[in-house]
Amino acid sequence: MNDVAKALRGFVADVGPGVALSLEACVHCGQCAEACQFYVQTGDPRYTPIHKVELFKQSYDREIGPFAFAYKFFGLAPKLTAETLLEWQDLVYDSCNMCGRCSLICPMGIDIAELVERTRHGMFEAGLAPADFLGALAEKERATGSPFGLTSENFGTLLHEIGEKHGVAMRVDEVRADIVPTISSIDVKTYPGSMAAIAKILNHVGESWSFRTDGFDADNVSLTAGDRAGQDAITKSIVNAAIGCEAKILVMPECGHSYTEMRWEAANSFGRDLPFRVLQITELMAEMIQSGKLRVKKVTQTATYHDACQVSRRGGATAAPRVIMQALGVELRELEDAGAENWCCGGGGGVALIKRAQPLRDKAFALKQKQIEAAGAATVYTSCSGCRQTLEHGGKAAGWKVTVASLLELVADNLAP
Amino acid sequence: MRDETVGDMLGRRGFSRRGLLKFAIAMTSSLALPPSLAPVMAANLAAARRQSVIWLSFQECTGCLETLLRTDSPTIAGLIFDFISLDYQESLMAAAGSAAELTLRQAVAANAGKYLLAIDGSIPVADGGVYSLTGGRTNVSMLQEFAPGAAAILAIGTCAAYGGIPKAFPNPTGAVGVEDVILDKPIVNIPGCPPIPEVLSGVLVYFVSFGRLPDLDDQKRPLAYFGTTIHDQCYRKPFYDQGKFAKSFDDEGARQGWCLFELGCKGPTTHNACASLKWNDGTSFPIESGHGCLGCSEPDFWDQEGGFYTSLAGGTGPGWRNAGIAAATGVALGAAAAIAARRKVP
Amino acid sequence: MLLSFARGPGMQVAALIMVVGMFWRLAGILLLRRRAAHAAARNPFGARLLGGAVTVFTRTIPRRTFWPRVAPGVALSYVFHVGLFIILFGGAPHILIIHEIFGVSWPDLPKGVIVVASGLTLAALIALLVRRLTHPVLQLLSTADDFLSWLIVFLPVATGILLSGETVGGYGTLLALHILSVEALMIWLPFGKLMHVALVFAGRGVLGYNFARKGAAT
Repeated sequence: MNDVAKALRGFVADVGPGVALSLEACVHCGQCAEACQFYVQTGDPRYTPIHKVELFKQSYDREIGPFAFAYKFFGLAPKLTAETLLEWQDLVYDSCNMCGRCSLICPMGIDIAELVERTRHGMFEAGLAPADFLGALAEKERATGSPFGLTSENFGTLLHEIGEKHGVAMRVDEVRADIVPTISSIDVKTYPGSMAAIAKILNHVGESWSFRTDGFDADNVSLTAGDRAGQDAITKSIVNAAIGCEAKILVMPECGHSYTEMRWEAANSFGRDLPFRVLQITELMAEMIQSGKLRVKKVTQTATYHDACQVSRRGGATAAPRVIMQALGVELRELEDAGAENWCCGGGGGVALIKRAQPLRDKAFALKQKQIEAAGAATVYTSCSGCRQTLEHGGKAAGWKVTVASLLELVADNLAP
Repeated sequence: MRDETVGDMLGRRGFSRRGLLKFAIAMTSSLALPPSLAPVMAANLAAARRQSVIWLSFQECTGCLETLLRTDSPTIAGLIFDFISLDYQESLMAAAGSAAELTLRQAVAANAGKYLLAIDGSIPVADGGVYSLTGGRTNVSMLQEFAPGAAAILAIGTCAAYGGIPKAFPNPTGAVGVEDVILDKPIVNIPGCPPIPEVLSGVLVYFVSFGRLPDLDDQKRPLAYFGTTIHDQCYRKPFYDQGKFAKSFDDEGARQGWCLFELGCKGPTTHNACASLKWNDGTSFPIESGHGCLGCSEPDFWDQEGGFYTSLAGGTGPGWRNAGIAAATGVALGAAAAIAARRKVP
Repeated sequence: MLLSFARGPGMQVAALIMVVGMFWRLAGILLLRRRAAHAAARNPFGARLLGGAVTVFTRTIPRRTFWPRVAPGVALSYVFHVGLFIILFGGAPHILIIHEIFGVSWPDLPKGVIVVASGLTLAALIALLVRRLTHPVLQLLSTADDFLSWLIVFLPVATGILLSGETVGGYGTLLALHILSVEALMIWLPFGKLMHVALVFAGRGVLGYNFARKGAAT
């Protein structure tokens, strides 16, 4: 099967009534462009969100739509070609964080971000996930279960090392555990302290918990690359690991898309209800704070907060970080667009993993920079390692005085007896 | 008698020249001609010979003839019979049978090329035209025989002009109007079911005075009387403009004399002079009497969509049953498409 | 006669095509294979339904954060839509048609109001076309459907204005053209972007339901 046919197969797979409705509904009003950081910051109409999924729409019209026979017979939509697929590559990958601002503005109720995710299925099948380095990482993840090739054994070793270094007791591969935390590969590379932080907090509250080396790497690069098979495989291993130790709560790390995948997609691809709850780490902390299980010290600082798009706008977990910061006594100066209306850091959805997309990311970051500086706080907290890294990189290039920090680590550093 | 001028004849009757001038003033006004033409008309009429009119009645109800005769007092309609010589008319003439046929042939011969041929009633053409016979002759053959010798043909009433009520679906007799049979003679359509008497007399007076037919519109109707619609002249138009409509007969709005658009009035699409000339010497007209215009001077008025009581804004829709069938058909087609699509989705 | 055709066979055919087409398109969408949602909902079913229903209304106005960038276009679009709504549901002859089909009616608005609304609707329509032809995003997105749909909406509005003005053209001819132009709109409606008259409710409702399921902002 050639690449075009593969792309077509990827496009039409799993088109249900909801996606079909989205593909049918566009009236070409152009509002989605005004919500997208890439259009707003560049003025390039090609970055209009609904335009990014044009090939998906055309394929739908020709193959799946109610008038498919007419589209084909009268040639009302162009046939997919290798050239156009390539032409659309940077629209589908480089210039979309799947952040969902467009889905929030669309007057027809089209979930454009979801459509981009689906479009990536077809692009991936045609081998068009940008190789440097999103595509390469996805391939590694599909082959080994981790984008950096981290094996279960290595992970176990790593955890013990981190435990020793930070002076926390690590629990690994316990037979039974109520709470199973997972990690993001960015944490492995860049923020190992967050793994120590999780352990510290869970030990402190005395929960029954354990990392599982047979299912740990949650950030699912395959999802952002559009590799459905890889996506499902990662998810399944984590779900099975949690089931394996009869977990009650599966905890997603400071990460965006891992939450989207595990909280809102996993059960659907698994085909049945999950026997455990899925919480992002901030949700877990907020819950424990509200129940009194977790007590924190007061900190005196002013800070602002950057919401991870997948957790807040797409995931519905906007309140949790605020509960935590209020308990910590942080003087929170919200960004002008905060919570669900937040602007994406520019790195989400795999864009941070596309080297050539750096200029675009910089443009998106400029928006964040303006808003964060306008909030007049010394620190910007976030609960997503992807955002954290993107903001740090951008801040460094901008010569920032603002500190980017993790909310999880702030809690871990301020536990009260 | 035959060579007597109209002026002579009127003088014999004691009708003064002033009376004739007053008549001419009224006629020029009715014909929407400049007032300066009134003396010209009066002089021409006085000097004119009485115009021969041969009247053939075909598939008709005699209503068009009756309307011309329904005058209680000497009026414009009544006076017209002084300007014309009605040489043949089956309902009015004393002769019958072969004597009548002889009269017809003599009148045609004596006025060859100069008589006005007046037709009322539609002309049935189905099955060789057997559905209307006079003395065993079909209407079609009579029309075709006597049209060539006429100066012009007056198609009086909607039946003669457009086929009228006999033409209503399913039109079993194959009824048509004069203009569908005769293609090579000047024809004046004077539609209406029946037409307003003053309209006919106006056309005749014009012809007698000026020796030609008045200006006609693209449906061969005299512009002077059919150039505007009932709606244009209707005294209830202010109510139309203000959106005051009667919703049902004899409701509060109807009693206030509000516009009858919603009760099916076809005034806006009907060309005639009813709203200005009115009927029975200006007594009233249907709208003034509380009923919407039927559009009786327009072709196919009997068959118009939705009937007399459906407003011009509406018509005949598909109906709920057909709409339901259409919906089911749509769902079936959509389901077929969805099933075909499901096969493609792994 | 053109008017007879328009008020009779034309209306029947147009209405039937519109019904067939709308049901075809909606059935073709809704009968695709649906995957069961197993992820634990954040909100109970009632709240999800409510979320769907409410979103149908709340998406009418963009969120305040978007206003600086979208307000002019949205406002212009509403002048058109609201104007058209006033004409269709406040104009006496249209209420009459609704009454003839559905048996319900309500008082009409004064003709002066309709006149003003018509003028604004027409002006907005033209301004929207200019916008579509000059805005870079719209230039990229626009297809033949956008322009055909524009024309097919423009004609009824324009002929309706001429008809009610009663200054240009014969009443009968203008009425026939107006009705025929509406019939053209009905025939095209299910197949192009005009189908948004139905899809807007479905789309917003489904998104609202799905987002309410996640507890996400709608």
